[in-house]
Amino acid sequence: MTEKPVAVLALYPSAQALLDAVPRVRERGLGRLEAYTPFPVHGLDEALGLKRSPLGAMVFGMGILGAFLALVFQWWTSAVDYPVRIGGKALFSWQAFVPIMFEVMVLLAAFTAGLGMLFLLNRLPWFGHPILHTRAIAAITRDRFALAIEADGGELDVEAAREALAAAGGEAVEVVHAYTAPEGKRTVFPWREVAGVLVACIVAGVVTFYGIRLFPVLPPMGHMEVQNKAVAFRGMRSPVAGTVARGHLPLPVADVGEADAVLVNPLPRTPETLARGRLRYEQSCELCHGPLGQGKTALSEAYQAQPANLQSATIRDYGDGRLFYVVSYGFSNMPGYAVDLSVDDRWAAVHYVRALQRSQNAREEDLP
Amino acid sequence: MSHEAVLQALEPMPLVEGEVTPASLDDQVLAFPERKPPRAWFIAFAVTSAIFLVGVALIGYSFYRGVGVWGNNSPVFWGFPIVNFVFWVGIGHAGTLISAILFIFRKRWRNAIARFAEAMTLFALACAAIFPLIHVGRPWFAYWLFPYPNERALWVNFRSPLLWDVFAVSTYFSVSLLFWYLGMVPDLASMRERTRSKFRRFFYTVFSLGWRGSSRNWRHFEKAYLLLAGLATGLVLSVHSVVSFDFAVSVVPGWHMTIFPPYFVTGAIFAGFAMVVLVLAPVRRIMNLTNLITMHHLEVMNKVILAMACLMGYSYFMEGFTAWYSQNIFIHHIFARYVTGPYGWAGILTLTCNVLIPQLLWVRRFRRSIPVMIFVSVAVTVGMWFERFVIFLVSLHQDFLPSSWGFYKPTLVDYGILLGSFGLFFTLVLLFARMLPVIATTEVKVDLPGSQPVHQHPGDHHD
Amino acid sequence: MSEGTSPAARVLIPLCLVGLAGAVGTYVVAGPERFFINWLIWFLFLLTIGLGGLFIVALEHTVASLWSVPVRRIAERLSGLVVGIVPVALIALFSLPVVFPWTHPEAAAEPMVAGKLVWLNIPWFVARMVISLILWVVCYRFLAGGSLRQDETKDPAFTLKARRFAPVVLIIFAFTLTNVAFDWISSLEPLWYSDIFGVYLFVGTFLAGLASTALGVAYLDRRGRLPGLRFDHRYNLGGLVFAFTVFWSYIAFAQYMLQWYANMPEEVFWYKDRIEGFWWYAAILLALLHFAIPFLALATRKAKGNLKLLARIAVVVLAAHFLDLFWMIFPVLGPEARPSWPELAFALLFIPAGLLWARWAMRRGADMPVGDPRLEAALEFRL
Repeated sequence: MTEKPVAVLALYPSAQALLDAVPRVRERGLGRLEAYTPFPVHGLDEALGLKRSPLGAMVFGMGILGAFLALVFQWWTSAVDYPVRIGGKALFSWQAFVPIMFEVMVLLAAFTAGLGMLFLLNRLPWFGHPILHTRAIAAITRDRFALAIEADGGELDVEAAREALAAAGGEAVEVVHAYTAPEGKRTVFPWREVAGVLVACIVAGVVTFYGIRLFPVLPPMGHMEVQNKAVAFRGMRSPVAGTVARGHLPLPVADVGEADAVLVNPLPRTPETLARGRLRYEQSCELCHGPLGQGKTALSEAYQAQPANLQSATIRDYGDGRLFYVVSYGFSNMPGYAVDLSVDDRWAAVHYVRALQRSQNAREEDLP
Repeated sequence: MSHEAVLQALEPMPLVEGEVTPASLDDQVLAFPERKPPRAWFIAFAVTSAIFLVGVALIGYSFYRGVGVWGNNSPVFWGFPIVNFVFWVGIGHAGTLISAILFIFRKRWRNAIARFAEAMTLFALACAAIFPLIHVGRPWFAYWLFPYPNERALWVNFRSPLLWDVFAVSTYFSVSLLFWYLGMVPDLASMRERTRSKFRRFFYTVFSLGWRGSSRNWRHFEKAYLLLAGLATGLVLSVHSVVSFDFAVSVVPGWHMTIFPPYFVTGAIFAGFAMVVLVLAPVRRIMNLTNLITMHHLEVMNKVILAMACLMGYSYFMEGFTAWYSQNIFIHHIFARYVTGPYGWAGILTLTCNVLIPQLLWVRRFRRSIPVMIFVSVAVTVGMWFERFVIFLVSLHQDFLPSSWGFYKPTLVDYGILLGSFGLFFTLVLLFARMLPVIATTEVKVDLPGSQPVHQHPGDHHD
Repeated sequence: MSEGTSPAARVLIPLCLVGLAGAVGTYVVAGPERFFINWLIWFLFLLTIGLGGLFIVALEHTVASLWSVPVRRIAERLSGLVVGIVPVALIALFSLPVVFPWTHPEAAAEPMVAGKLVWLNIPWFVARMVISLILWVVCYRFLAGGSLRQDETKDPAFTLKARRFAPVVLIIFAFTLTNVAFDWISSLEPLWYSDIFGVYLFVGTFLAGLASTALGVAYLDRRGRLPGLRFDHRYNLGGLVFAFTVFWSYIAFAQYMLQWYANMPEEVFWYKDRIEGFWWYAAILLALLHFAIPFLALATRKAKGNLKLLARIAVVVLAAHFLDLFWMIFPVLGPEARPSWPELAFALLFIPAGLLWARWAMRRGADMPVGDPRLEAALEFRL
């Protein structure tokens, strides 16, 4: 083979022998020194003149970053994006955020330590290093200690290196050549085998998928089936077929226009009615229409929805019957609430909506 | 005692027995995966796999019929699954303590047992992870636990300790896996060079990442290992504390005791060490590793078990005393129920197994006796499972309103799934012993007599 | 060097006398309550340093730790405080009827407190304190006294005996220290309870012991009285301070977070009184001194072995421990109470007295346990 020699190495029988040899070889100045050992040897780093690993600072930095990111994320999701008050605690309940902050800090720090060490600092995995294809590597991973003189950019004086290593007590001196893969195989990494495994997985998955559909092993679980759509109303829960719930008699009108013209609010406007209407409004309507009916709420922002502004002049001009019809059967994207709210509840809600409208459009006579 | 005998007793015990060189170590430990396993291994594997598969079948049955096949009911909504989860997570802590904390404290005796113990951590966590997954009732929605932007515009509840659990246990699992795997890389490199099978060589080549033992690599590797050990130490404390927060942040009488975090961590280390002793005592004999995992190792682990038993005794005493001191009638009632009433037998069993029986280990002869230490370890394992049973289930079955009181009766499915988790654990242990180096040969080589140079550089102060 | 006329004593003794005058003045002017609260804080501060030293010695024997043998004598000397503290403890007992609410007849009226009176009553309280003091002195005489005797006899049998009985000392320590926490600090507000409180005081005690030991090591090392002490020993000492700083923070946070989360009125009032208004700043300072500063300062490997830095951080840790006790105890005087001249007077009394005692203690026996058969191996210790 006429590949360039990249290093000359020799084996030493013990860590002590290696450590003694290093200064003697180093002073010859024949190239960069590298040692290969089956386990870390105390004092070797200093003898070779290696600098401290920067991993500590990297890990510390990433740990702090992890804690900070976790804190910001928890704060933003719990106090800003969708503020939810849990157990009466403050929105920025940092005490409750600390455990996850700690865990994410450890997670990021640990992965920096492990993967940073491997990928960044050690440049592993790497299967092409010349030393992996020498005779010596078997002994190195077992119980021998190797010292190698590597070409430091320039030419390697192989003879001088051999002599220096042997003089310092080395045995089994070997010249290391740049590694080229044997004919027919371009790299050490077995791409073909890996591809084969992937193909096998895909085939197995496809076969299983269609096989299960042909031969269902478990019957479809009844309690997980999609619910039947309601036929008549656009309600959210379908009542039992063929029944009419109490308080839910069907309306004697055909469309919204007729409702507007014909229907009249049967409930008196008393504090009890308004309180009932307010309760129903807060439970069912406020989510989209807002506390004052203006239609701009957190939910409407999140869904880019356009609930009607109940304070608008158009809606203020609607008759009570029209409001009632829309509450019952819905309008455009709004679902109807006929199956959720009884007739009286809906009329009470209409009273409350009127009160809301008046609150924002009061006349001078309304003042005491 | 004579002067010489005293000096002998003060000598530090040797880490290995007999003549052990790096080469003989490799031949002894790394040769296992290369040999065909004995028939006993196959029999054991068949038994544990069968038990595991029974557990899997019962889990499938639970999915099919629903959670109602378990004993969980009002008022004890949290039944066996939570007990099993905390039990298994606890067992995992010993492995990390041995491989991380003892490394930080430079206790060399940990080298021979660290690999096995850390593997047991991972297997215990795998067993633990089953239970939160199946007990949510709709496991196909389990991914809802992770904060991802979704069409419901909802985020997870970060203020809930159940969610802290998700982060803590998954962090613990991934960091432990990373730590365990990285430690194995040099050993896999050794196996790569030893093996003659082409398939095995491919497998070891890939997983050893091309490790070659260069000093430049060792330098970063050692730093990473030390940092990971330090971080894992933090995890040992925090993970079981977060698990304890599941209970301690509530107002349920008997749960809201501030000592829960260190008490749970102590209990975890306790149960974990007992499991390690329980597994290693027979394994070292079966795999002929008695010169590497010596009686000294077992004795030291038993001392740790004894120390933890004393700490558990202290915790139980503090719990009892503070329960009385609080003058809170609900807490008084629950603590009385721990040792009297329908579940009183469980509380007495817990105290006996966790505090009384380990006191046997004060006697040096018992610390070094295999039958005694196996008896103590089994007692501790049982006792620690029942401790979780007592704390979680007894507190729930008779809390504030007497009208809510009820009785908890676990079903056969509950027992079967618990048994199945043991089956999974031991199956994984058997697979590990068969396929991977059970002793961290590289780490043991570091401290063999004669391994390290005696005369280092004159200025070796590291200042 | 003759005692009493050394330059240090010439400064410390007058300061001490000024402090004494101030303390008496506090009793007369500010009231016995103020006097006894201060006395209590300083009593506990010095007691925990002594107990911390005792714990370090017992722990070292129990785990047969090798690296700490050269510095064990310093911890042994510190543990002598459990003897020196006896007069302070006896005076502290006079605070019971003044400061502790359960000694007052109204306590019997409050049902939650009345139930505790079978434990919290003066005779039983005093008995517990006296028994604890006796036990501590016995343990001290056994461990530290035995070690001093071993200096002369060079008999290795003591080391074996100490190793065997040190676990018993640890058990005694666990229960007596928990008792100190519950009796002297927690019962100042008898409605409150927290069963981690013993552990909490333990971590602070251990840290105080470690910090004082580190200061002692720095003091002796600067005078060349610890030959053979290497980076490896210093690193372990610094590492322990670092690790237990983290552990203290974990325990402190656990107790706080759990009581914050459940928000039960009978528990959380204790914290509420200590994190509102003025005390919020004290709590922030506590977090800084007890966690942030020692953690960041000792994070790197080099820092842990740097004895000068460790000595400075030890002062910070001791100040933090004092602040911890102060923050727990002082608010009992009421939400309007603020530290002022009485606190300064007591500091002038106890700090010089403590330093004088420490100077005296640092002269007892050899600076290293020269009779210990493992001393030579310990000095060769490598990480």
